[in-house]
Amino acid sequence: MPATEHQPSFLGRISIRRNQVTAMDGNHEQELEDLELFQRHIGDRFAELLSPPDNQDSPFSGESFLSISWLRKLVDVLLCCEAEFKAVLIMGRDPSQISKPPLDRSLSDYMERAVKVLDICNAVSGGVDSIRQCQKLAEIIVSALEQKPIGDGQVKRAKKALSALMSALAIDDKESNHPRYAERTWSFGRRGNNSGGNHKDRANHGSFRSLSMVVAKNWSAAKQIQAMCSNLAVPRGGESTGLVQPVYIMSNVMVFVMWALVAAIPCQERSGLLTHFQIPKQFGWAHSIIGMQEKIGEEWKKKEKKGSAGLLEEMQRMEKLGQSLIEFADGFQFPAEDEKAEEAAAQVAELAEICRRMEEGLLPLQQQIREVFHRIVRSRTEVLDLLDHGKVSQPII
Amino acid sequence: MEIPVFVEKFLDLVEEKVAKHELNEGKGKWGQNPEEDSSFLEAVNRISKLTSSLDGLRSDPNHAALISRIGGIQQRAMACLEDEFRFTLEDIKHNDQDPNTDAKGKQHEADRCVLPESESAETDNFLGYSDDAVSKLNRIAKEMIGGGFESECCHVYMMIRGHAFDECFAEIGFEKISIDEVQKMQWEALEREIPLWIKAVKEYASIYFVKELKLAEAVFSNYSSISSSLFSNLTRSVLIQLLNFAEAVAMTKRSAEKLFKFLDMYETLRDSLPAMGALFSEEYENELKTESTTARCRIGEAAICMFCDLENSIKSDTGKTPVPGGAVHPLTRYTMNYLKYAGEYIATLEQVFREHSKIERADSTSRPRYESESQNFNNDNDEENQSPFSNQLVRVMDLLDSNLEAKSKLYKDIALSCIFMMNNGRYIVQKIKGSTEIRQMMGDPWCRRKSSELRNYHKNYQRETWSKLLGCLGHEGLQVNGKVIKPVLKERFKSFNVLFDEIHKAQSSWVVSDEQLQSELRVSITAVVIPAYRSFMGRFSQYLTPGRQTEKYIKYQAEDLETYIDELFDGNSASGARKRP
Repeated sequence: MPATEHQPSFLGRISIRRNQVTAMDGNHEQELEDLELFQRHIGDRFAELLSPPDNQDSPFSGESFLSISWLRKLVDVLLCCEAEFKAVLIMGRDPSQISKPPLDRSLSDYMERAVKVLDICNAVSGGVDSIRQCQKLAEIIVSALEQKPIGDGQVKRAKKALSALMSALAIDDKESNHPRYAERTWSFGRRGNNSGGNHKDRANHGSFRSLSMVVAKNWSAAKQIQAMCSNLAVPRGGESTGLVQPVYIMSNVMVFVMWALVAAIPCQERSGLLTHFQIPKQFGWAHSIIGMQEKIGEEWKKKEKKGSAGLLEEMQRMEKLGQSLIEFADGFQFPAEDEKAEEAAAQVAELAEICRRMEEGLLPLQQQIREVFHRIVRSRTEVLDLLDHGKVSQPII
Repeated sequence: MEIPVFVEKFLDLVEEKVAKHELNEGKGKWGQNPEEDSSFLEAVNRISKLTSSLDGLRSDPNHAALISRIGGIQQRAMACLEDEFRFTLEDIKHNDQDPNTDAKGKQHEADRCVLPESESAETDNFLGYSDDAVSKLNRIAKEMIGGGFESECCHVYMMIRGHAFDECFAEIGFEKISIDEVQKMQWEALEREIPLWIKAVKEYASIYFVKELKLAEAVFSNYSSISSSLFSNLTRSVLIQLLNFAEAVAMTKRSAEKLFKFLDMYETLRDSLPAMGALFSEEYENELKTESTTARCRIGEAAICMFCDLENSIKSDTGKTPVPGGAVHPLTRYTMNYLKYAGEYIATLEQVFREHSKIERADSTSRPRYESESQNFNNDNDEENQSPFSNQLVRVMDLLDSNLEAKSKLYKDIALSCIFMMNNGRYIVQKIKGSTEIRQMMGDPWCRRKSSELRNYHKNYQRETWSKLLGCLGHEGLQVNGKVIKPVLKERFKSFNVLFDEIHKAQSSWVVSDEQLQSELRVSITAVVIPAYRSFMGRFSQYLTPGRQTEKYIKYQAEDLETYIDELFDGNSASGARKRP
């Protein structure tokens, strides 16, 4: 991936130069150059995400916008930006530079945002777990309907899984916070009424691990995003040429990537997700981010009305396929008409392909998100150490 | 290929059975008639076998209707099994129920227990499932998997066990708290969560995880890859959530008071998690090992910073007001009690310092001296007394010493500053001797040095206070040509009395709270003053005219002096206005 190729040389360049330049404030011009480079890299990386250069425009190449592999690239970009950010901010730098206002203030805001990112990472990772449940249901559908010829038994088996899948996909995270609702929608094919209330209580939770408690009671992804944006002010005057600038940019990158993940993947409490996050249009690096934000925003608006588990491409396709397969199953009579059977077979094949992509991609995505988690914890500690250190104003060699 | 006619007959029979079971579905009717259950499972087994034996005929349109019929019956039968599987899984007996009644209630249906571990029902082998239930789950799972309905079976299992697993959190009383929230919590509140977390980690590691694996293995016996992947998927997220709490706590603002709770957490992570690794498949084991090591490192690094922060609190204690009476300084008390407490964690602290000291640790104000050693902490040739922690400990003690020395200079009276140093030194030595671990770490030479320092302060004190007084009792200058000069003698007695009064007045307000030290001081003062006074009196009191003169100049008998000396260092200002130091 081109984004990662930049990285070693870039880091190397900075560290070499910093070592050569001993005067603390003498390298202001180089600092400006670093900053510019940082911004350009961010712009480039996101531009590539917005419109991949070798886009085949095939309907479902697996690389499309908001697909699992696209999200993996997005998370990769975040990791790259973060590494470069750290290089710009702290590599070889004297801690006393960092602990000076206004940078200290903006860094401590950044650290607070970073903490919120950690919770979002965990929530999203829990969301990936719940996508995996959809995958399992889809696999049941596939294994029922890929049998030939399809008989009543297979159709019934598929229908059961289909209805569970559809309610899983249509789940609205807001309502999933209510156990009653969760019971209704996430329950998987339990026919008829059950005996005593005691069992019923337990049956409530039976079918889908609810999203609501991944992080904590009453935790809300949307509120966390909102909180991350609330003090995200554009650097003014002298700040705009100093290190406050990259902190501001990185904050935006972080918020955007988290926002996109929360939109794409089922996540605890997302109502009002759209309203919180505005990036000023005047920045070059922000163009692609704003472009993607608009695209995701439109998708979100469409889905918000219907109530959806997430904008993830694979889930959306799964939903469409599920819809058609339900139609197929509802109208099924043995033996199936050839035409209909063929049509269904194609859909089943596509569903199988989606399952395969999930099988391949979800775990790595989850691991990447965990990587973000650890990386951010580490960086936060390093920066805090520097801040503490700078206050005592003794240089580290 | 011909299909025998009896197949249709067989299908009729099975269909009838299925229909009967569908009526009972979800009502827990299983187990009431074990023979019927078995024969149903047997029928499902045959249907599955029939299905796979007809695989070759799938594309033959002549048999399509038959195959479809078989598929339909199989699906219905499997749906029954799935419902029963779910029902049985959901039917968890909680521990608070009396296991005896539970066991008896199930006894009459229990003649078919096929599980190897048919231990007494009183022990909860399977997280609230009876051995019968587990046996039933096992047989159902076997048929579902054999008939190609593995996904349904696993899905139901995951859902129900996953939820039950989450409920354990609530049972333990550990509530999930977001990392963000943890940062905002008051330490007092967070401190209360930590024991719950420790309990949760311990119970998950030693009970729940083990039992969960046992359950999965019992239900999915002969399908070890299924049981291991279900188990891993179930436990992974729970474990990560537990570790997230440790990460969250490690991120909180560091302060010395948190150290011991952090060490508790460190010990829990160190002791509970490794044993768990064996439960997981290799893939997960590696991931979880990395995760738990990371969390442990973070806690360890934070603990180091906190301990090293003791240096900062000592350095920053630069108050200019001396403690009245030369008593033990609060800083000494704080530091030594902290160290005494640290002594109880000494093995862990040693390990933490050895394993988690970062060479590039940035806070140079408390940069420990061991950095060069810690670079190769993997080499075991570090000498015992070169342990990074003991170095840090010695460093703290040295800092405390020099801080106290600076504080002693705040007293204008050198004798009082000696008392101050003795008080604090004594306190330090007592505390260190009171903790075997710390004492060992500081070593005998240190203790010897400390004792000799104390003796020096004692000597200095004696000299400062009492040599002047003893000067009054010297024989020189009292006699000229063998004749005692009375005015000089009177002057001597007078100044002795004044001086002694002053000393008594001042020093009875001084504080020596260590009884032994107090008595040592008094004894040594008595030993110096009383014999000299007696001898002076014996030699010269005869030269004063008995009566008025004697009364005027001999204010004290030796016994009086002893009594007054015994009043010194009582911290008692009643015998006179407290002398300002």
